[in-house]
Amino acid sequence: MGETVGNLIGLNDEVIHPAATLAVEAHNSPSKQFLVKKIKIRHDLSSFVVFAFSGSMLPDDWFGEPPFGKTKIDTGKFPSLTSLNDGGDAVVNGSFLRRFNGVLDKLSHAKELKEAIEKKRQVVFSGYSSAGPIAILATLYFLENPTLSPRCLTFGSPLLGDRIFGHVLRREGWSDYFTHFVMKYDIIPRIMLSPSTEHEQILNYFKSKFDRKNINPAPPSGFYLTVMGNASSVASYEACHLMGCRNPSLDIIKSFIELSPYRPSGTYVFCTGNGNLVVVKDPNAVLQILIHCAELGESHTAEVEKRSLDEHLAYLSELNECLGMQAVVSLDGGPATATLNDLGLSPQAMLCLQAAEEFKNRRSRNLEKIRKYLEKIEVKLEMMRKYKENARISRLGYYDSFKLQNEDDDFHANVSRLELAGMWDEIKEMLKEFELPDDFEKKREIIDLGTKYRRLVEPLDIANFYRHSKDKETGAYVIGGGPRPKRYRFIQRWLEHDEKEEFGSRSESLFWADVEQLGIDIKKKGYVQEIEERIQQVERNLIAWIGDRSLDDDVLLENSTFVKWWRDLPPQHKPKSDRIEKLIGEKEKAAGV
Amino acid sequence: MKRRRMNQVPLFSSAGELANMLVTSNLIEAAWAKIPELQRGQSALPSSVQTMVDHPTPKCTIVVFAPSPDSTQDALSQGGDLVPYPKFDFLCTKGCPSVSINRAALTLFTPLYDHLSGLKDELNKREGQLIITGQSLGGSIASLFTLFLLSSMDKESKCRPICITFGSPLIGNFGLQHSHWNSFFLHLVSDKDPLPTLFLPSGRSAPTSSHSQATAYKPFGTYLLCSELGCACFDDPDFIFKFLTVASSEVAGGLQVVVDYGEILRNLKYRAICKGPRLVGERLTDPFSAGIVMELKTIGIDPAKHNIDIGRMEKDARDLTWKTNKASEAKKLNDRKINMVWLEWYRKKAEDVKKDYYDCFRNERFNIEAKIQWHMEDLTTYWEDMVAEAERKPQKEGASFRTGWLQAGTTYRRMVEPLDIAVFYKDGGRDYINSERSQHYKLLEQWYEEAAKPPTSEELDSKKQKVSVLLTEDSCFWAHVEEAILSCKSLTNANSTPELRESSWNNLVKFGEYVMEQIENYAVSPEIFLKDSCFMTWWGEYKVYIASPSNPCSLRFIQFIDFMKTGRYGVYGRSEVP
Repeated sequence: MGETVGNLIGLNDEVIHPAATLAVEAHNSPSKQFLVKKIKIRHDLSSFVVFAFSGSMLPDDWFGEPPFGKTKIDTGKFPSLTSLNDGGDAVVNGSFLRRFNGVLDKLSHAKELKEAIEKKRQVVFSGYSSAGPIAILATLYFLENPTLSPRCLTFGSPLLGDRIFGHVLRREGWSDYFTHFVMKYDIIPRIMLSPSTEHEQILNYFKSKFDRKNINPAPPSGFYLTVMGNASSVASYEACHLMGCRNPSLDIIKSFIELSPYRPSGTYVFCTGNGNLVVVKDPNAVLQILIHCAELGESHTAEVEKRSLDEHLAYLSELNECLGMQAVVSLDGGPATATLNDLGLSPQAMLCLQAAEEFKNRRSRNLEKIRKYLEKIEVKLEMMRKYKENARISRLGYYDSFKLQNEDDDFHANVSRLELAGMWDEIKEMLKEFELPDDFEKKREIIDLGTKYRRLVEPLDIANFYRHSKDKETGAYVIGGGPRPKRYRFIQRWLEHDEKEEFGSRSESLFWADVEQLGIDIKKKGYVQEIEERIQQVERNLIAWIGDRSLDDDVLLENSTFVKWWRDLPPQHKPKSDRIEKLIGEKEKAAGV
Repeated sequence: MKRRRMNQVPLFSSAGELANMLVTSNLIEAAWAKIPELQRGQSALPSSVQTMVDHPTPKCTIVVFAPSPDSTQDALSQGGDLVPYPKFDFLCTKGCPSVSINRAALTLFTPLYDHLSGLKDELNKREGQLIITGQSLGGSIASLFTLFLLSSMDKESKCRPICITFGSPLIGNFGLQHSHWNSFFLHLVSDKDPLPTLFLPSGRSAPTSSHSQATAYKPFGTYLLCSELGCACFDDPDFIFKFLTVASSEVAGGLQVVVDYGEILRNLKYRAICKGPRLVGERLTDPFSAGIVMELKTIGIDPAKHNIDIGRMEKDARDLTWKTNKASEAKKLNDRKINMVWLEWYRKKAEDVKKDYYDCFRNERFNIEAKIQWHMEDLTTYWEDMVAEAERKPQKEGASFRTGWLQAGTTYRRMVEPLDIAVFYKDGGRDYINSERSQHYKLLEQWYEEAAKPPTSEELDSKKQKVSVLLTEDSCFWAHVEEAILSCKSLTNANSTPELRESSWNNLVKFGEYVMEQIENYAVSPEIFLKDSCFMTWWGEYKVYIASPSNPCSLRFIQFIDFMKTGRYGVYGRSEVP
């Protein structure tokens, strides 16, 4: 206690209410795509520019193809919104994405926006009800392109994205920019957890309300059990996961039922209805509270059903009451029974929250475990580096020395290679299961160590692969989804993502695989056009990578597979002959000295 | 050490959440939907069991079984004893050498066998979801049919089955606890339904079933146990048995009562979005017991009154969590790879000094044998576990489980067992094969033999080319050599009795034939002929013995002796030899 919402979400309290008012106003002004308002804070004279988007209650603007109207996000506009391991691109509600695309052009040319950028004013994107997702996407769009770092406030917003979507927000450290206000029973923030069968009657009801053509439209009925039942299915499925359910049938059952893909992301502020606010950041806890706090208690179903509609219309009055007050509780640091009583959670719900907390702790523990690995990895890499140094002396290079496996040193390097693979594969598995903190793949020291590992050790995996002629069983080392171990693919993506480079652009650790495969393919096909192009590519890569030091120059050692292979190439197939001869010459001179 | 750390981590029971997820999804409703309809339409039809195949969506097939009320009563009156049913022996495990099925279920199932055989083949070809369902004995037929279907499914099959039964009695004496098949079964049981408890000892079972037979029943699959208050999922057979026993002593009503699971489902759906029971007097400090107590109370079990050991349930859950962790699974596999690399390296080291690795290991030539032994132990623990797991699975499934790793297991056996033999004979052991050989080696060999086909002439040819890099196929080869050495000693020992001499001589004759056969099949590594190998040492002694004038026995295995004496072994395994 003792804090206001503004403190907890890091935004001036005086901005929230005007932003909400503007959001409600904009939602009901279909003629304008958005409204803009400047807010000056009295005591520090800072100023905010609020953009609030208009809404729509047309079914088409809420859901496309049943049951969930989902679509992959456009990674052209939102390049970050993809998993860096096997999770694929983020999935969002297609109708909301389409509506955002309709606003984008006008928004990015708005003079108020340009002015805000110039004068470095804080921009806030705000949305009520169906405009909430538009505000979220607008915020994300500008976060991808860091000319400004906007904030996002939504009120009674439906869910927009899936688990990957939320994961990316947390991975990029953007999660805190988003704050969503939700009333205890409001049906709209839960509606996307259910298939679209019940949506239309609910939307029609609100449409009449907003249009004010009919002041007292007949409320729909019977939807609450369906929507909440489906939402509860999602919550229970996630709870099973949090609780570490080991029932053998879980996977089979999951393959028979289609659950909503949507999950909450960002910070949630729950309005308890009695003047108190509860702030929750952990996405798993948010989901559980979202469902459990709206469960039926002693009241009659019809009563709760009506309340679930009324509360969607009550944000302004509710916020009026509790903003600026200090009756705010933060849930970070775990569920506390006393403070959650306002939400009226059942003991089972408390167990779910405890499981969410434990899941978070498990991730931290895993990170600790991995930190210990990182030290071990450093030690092993240092051994590998020495191995590489020693191999230079024979003017053969560690790649070829390893491929021959003649010395005890080669054997020990092989054991180290496998030990390293074991540690990175364990990290890979944990990431796949979301068992490490979301920002793991963005951590500087992880990316650096991973890159060092990839450049130093992947050549040995390639050497091992071609030593045993495994290409005959599986095809070339580098083909999409082929034999190349996934750990390398992931580590490479971390770097590419970090440098905002295209996927596949940092493949210097694959140099040897290109060379080996070319050698094999030339024997098979002769110097056809495709081969010529690949030789040129290898030459270009070599020059570029030696240049930026991402590839070690020991590939140029006199006795290495590369130099021998390249020297054997007929001169007409080596357009960059002079440059490379020069590089080899320099290397030899250096070795000679 | 690791285990203790794990123990400090809080654990949860998800029995209630899994059940909630099930009842709020539409899966069970979809399975139930057609049952009442089929049951109603039943009486007019002459056939005793109605089968319906429905396609609610193009990617989903539902198969419903509904016996007529008369045939159900008829079958039930036959009693609850278990009848051996060899057609289902594919479910045999080490713990259950022959399969028996409940008589009532068989009474209905057997006449359908041919019809279902056709249906099975048809469904096997289909893609997508397949829900197989039925109530009471209809559910028993559904379960039997699903097992039948699973037994004939191959890896490529795109058909994904699930069997959902409503209030069905227990079926047979086989368990599926260690089988992947277990996960395909979901049984709904209401505490108000007398049928599921019918064949239990305390149930009002038909007079023919004896007590000991009734306790031989084993539940399998996941049970969704429900009461008026809610539901919870369990898959521990002992607990399910317990629940059924408790329920059977409390359930009222005759067998004629047909429970309406549609109504039960509606109530459970409603319960799922209600705030559950208040937890009085329990604290949340131990989430597992708090959770499980709530779940048990929901389904009408009082842990104290019904003697439920929560501590044991927690321990089981913890063991399972520990066992099924994908990340540590990947690590384990990688560690075994490292173990093998060490052994390969040892073999290579021996090769580099032109010795065979059996001999090197037996005489500890490199001073790293202790380390190698450490790797061997890791591997042995791992493979013993794998073999034990395969043995716990039903025969048919166990076989396909094995195919994935039998090759790796064989390489392990051929690499490691010779070293075990070396240690055994070094320590003065005798008769390794009959007295010492570990069960897991025997099974690995047996399974390999079962799966192996006789080599074609091309394969034999390529084996001939590669024999120098292959491992000796018979992992007990060196045990035979050691025995031959011992036999040779007995022969030359002046104190040996004539009987001992005789049997030793015979052993050596057999050994010679055995080695020759291995050579002809390119089944031994040429390393056995390396100078100073145990084998060559033996040959040295033996050669002297057979050449000595005192040798009273005739030489019946000319071929082998000829092969050795003429030195042809010197070129064995060299590819340039014609």
